[in-house]
Amino acid sequence: MTERTGAPGASPDPGITAPVTEVRDLRVVVGGRAIVDGVTLRARPGKVTALVGASGSGKTTTGLALLGEYPPGAQVTGNLQLVADGLVGYIPQHPAAVLNPARRIAALLTDIARAQVRHLPRAERRAAARERVLQALTEAQLPDAETLLRRYPHQLSGGQQQRVVLAQALLLGARVIVADEPTTGQDPLTKSRIVDQLAAVAARGIAVVLLSHDLDVVRALADEVIVMREGRVVESAPAERLWLAPRHEYTRQLLDEQPTFADPDTAAETATREAVLRVRNLTARHRNGTRGTTVVLRAPELDLRPGECLAMVGRSGSGKTTLARCLAGLHREHDEETLLDGTPLPRSLRHRSRAQLAAVQYVFQDARAAFDEHRTVLDQVARTAIRLRAADHGTAQAEALAALTHLGLPEQLAHRRPGQLSGGELQRAALARALLARPRVLICDEITSGLDTVTRRGILDTLTALLRDREDLSLILITHDLATAALAHRIAVLDAGEVVEQGPARQLLTDPRHPFTISLMATTRRLGAGAGRCPDAHETTGRTTPVPAGPTTPGHLASRGANSAGPKG
Amino acid sequence: MRGLRSLVARRLLLGIVQTTAVVLLIFALTEALPGDAAVALAGDQPDSARIEAIRKAMHLDRPAPERLIEWVTGLLHGDLGTSLTSGRPVSSYLTGGFGPTLLLATLTVALLVPLGFGLGILAARHAGGLIDRLVSSMTLAVYAVPEFALGVLLVTVLALRLGWLPPTAVGYGTDLLAHPAALVLPVLVLLSRPVCSLTRLVRAGMIDALASPYVAQARRYGISGARIHLTHALPGALAPAAQHLARTIDWLLCGVIVVEALYTIPGLGTVLLNAVAERDVPVVQGLAVLFGVLTVVLNLGADLVAHRLAPRAGVAA
Repeated sequence: MTERTGAPGASPDPGITAPVTEVRDLRVVVGGRAIVDGVTLRARPGKVTALVGASGSGKTTTGLALLGEYPPGAQVTGNLQLVADGLVGYIPQHPAAVLNPARRIAALLTDIARAQVRHLPRAERRAAARERVLQALTEAQLPDAETLLRRYPHQLSGGQQQRVVLAQALLLGARVIVADEPTTGQDPLTKSRIVDQLAAVAARGIAVVLLSHDLDVVRALADEVIVMREGRVVESAPAERLWLAPRHEYTRQLLDEQPTFADPDTAAETATREAVLRVRNLTARHRNGTRGTTVVLRAPELDLRPGECLAMVGRSGSGKTTLARCLAGLHREHDEETLLDGTPLPRSLRHRSRAQLAAVQYVFQDARAAFDEHRTVLDQVARTAIRLRAADHGTAQAEALAALTHLGLPEQLAHRRPGQLSGGELQRAALARALLARPRVLICDEITSGLDTVTRRGILDTLTALLRDREDLSLILITHDLATAALAHRIAVLDAGEVVEQGPARQLLTDPRHPFTISLMATTRRLGAGAGRCPDAHETTGRTTPVPAGPTTPGHLASRGANSAGPKG
Repeated sequence: MRGLRSLVARRLLLGIVQTTAVVLLIFALTEALPGDAAVALAGDQPDSARIEAIRKAMHLDRPAPERLIEWVTGLLHGDLGTSLTSGRPVSSYLTGGFGPTLLLATLTVALLVPLGFGLGILAARHAGGLIDRLVSSMTLAVYAVPEFALGVLLVTVLALRLGWLPPTAVGYGTDLLAHPAALVLPVLVLLSRPVCSLTRLVRAGMIDALASPYVAQARRYGISGARIHLTHALPGALAPAAQHLARTIDWLLCGVIVVEALYTIPGLGTVLLNAVAERDVPVVQGLAVLFGVLTVVLNLGADLVAHRLAPRAGVAA
């Protein structure tokens, strides 16, 4: 054991008594600001303790403290009882990040195992270490371990990578496993597999600390929930109690239901209007190295009407994003006939006129990557008006500021650089930037999938309000989350590059025809049903839109309008 | 692996095209130079009748394309032709010059790899500390000195002032191994800049890798410091270093004209220098073919090594 940060007040915990690890009044101060303040947490063997809260609420800092790790330059106070010998496993949000791209999967696993077989005679060590590694991979539900060990991380799927990281923790003999946002950005099928896996880990008697803003997963797994906000514990209770009777206002907001776009009246009205975007016979290809191309997407017919929100649903890799990129002119390898207001739209961005460029705008999933980190947000937002509508600098700045304020981003934030804004705030800025072009079609590609519930709801509320306020605006909402898709007027379901089903949201969700749609809904429902630990005994008022996931969104308290809880400051 | 094999095939084909282009270019350039082998042979007082006679004897009066075609046909049969000035086969020039050049290159690389990696790892381990600053500033300073300046400086100080080492390899022939003292200065000069660039590359790669989440994970799971440095952080730094090393070896085998001339080492650089001075076109062309093939093969080798070390990056054709 080397390089483990000494934890203040740490004392080894020899027995197998509960809890395995305990943190009392943890306070972590970085640069005079307390990023974690007075957090108390107990992890018991075989139990799942969930830390819930928006990004930046101090979940990860608390989780890493259990590993004895702190941000650089942090002052730490509090009483920490860490696990003896540092037997704590860590599963990060992006498992690929902790797998060495230049080494085979076997590398770190073998190194961990080697430390455990030192007591054996030299000749037996290698075989014993290998035995242990294979055992751990099997326990992590990775079949065909022998071949897997010879692979490089990039040759594995995301799910396999995650299980390899889990195998590392199991091999270590971890008594606590900290899982940091393990399901963020995953489609429902993958999500439910991760939930099963973590449940299996807990069943082995390992204490699981789950850091997540995904309430479905927390519901399905947690025995004990700690709600955090701005570094403080807002509420901490056994899961059943928290779901049934949340005491704090913030917890209630967190559990609250999502808004809806679809208003049956307007849905009927939009159906009769002329389509703003008309796609016929689209085939998209990807270049396949140097030899030839593969067809990755086929969409014979797709229409978007003014004022309508069309959701494109499917698993990751189903071609949703490729379809959207074709429409936006970002993907050139395709044949199609796209008509914007009746006139054909050139295939590539380069051949589109300014007006055509402005008409179709794209908001990306990773807002942080979509901003230049060296210029202020306001400048970058204003740039759209200058480039696409030939506005002068002053007007553009004024318009940008107005748009940002309208979307709930105060002026002092607009003058900052992207690094100082949270993910949700940046996503709002990205929306403002796209809107400044006065687009006819706004494509939102998974723009809420990396965000916590409260922030996500804020963004979705904003979209609802936009759709209502701007008559000529239409929305394409790409998502793998059926609950989000349920907010749209119409839904198109994609699977393996084919549009398998499309129709009005209500019809599709209540009466799905295609087997893939049915299985997608079943998975979502099952994940929600995993919350069976807590009965869904809420005041379930009548829903205007049938939400497919049943109990995934049980709380239905108030604030369905556009001015419900925005993201935190 | 089929992709890899087709890559190798494609790269070799491309290499043949590149080498051909180099040979044609060299031929055209030597044709364009004023004077030819006959003028060079005719001596200090050229008499036009004599030059014509020599030209005729050497077949230099025939048109250039004809001579080129003849030479290429010979090349396809494995015959590099004969020198215009001495009448010896070109291949004997190449084999004669290759020995000393290869010896210098081998010695240099044998010292370069441990030194470059060692210093790089050392600096990365103490990143930001005194050792790191020392290594970084020294490598930067040495890298800034051109090799001819360093060569002259070393000769002046170590050979002429202090008399520790012979200033040049004059009189030792091609058997340089028998006189190791004569090799010290050229190897030092050859080593100076590559060591610095390799050290800095390895250091940068290691520092990146040491700050990465995968190294943090290895630390977290109790892997010892030395193991982390050598088996978890270093592999990430190896791919760029391997590419750099291939280019250095290429340079050592094909183009150390300045150092060979300075220390009068009878290697390929000296052969090239003399051949150009005497307008000995077949020898120049023979060297061009050799250098072309070496460059193609070394770069392909480096790409394959890099592909093995950083499999994710892929290899551009």
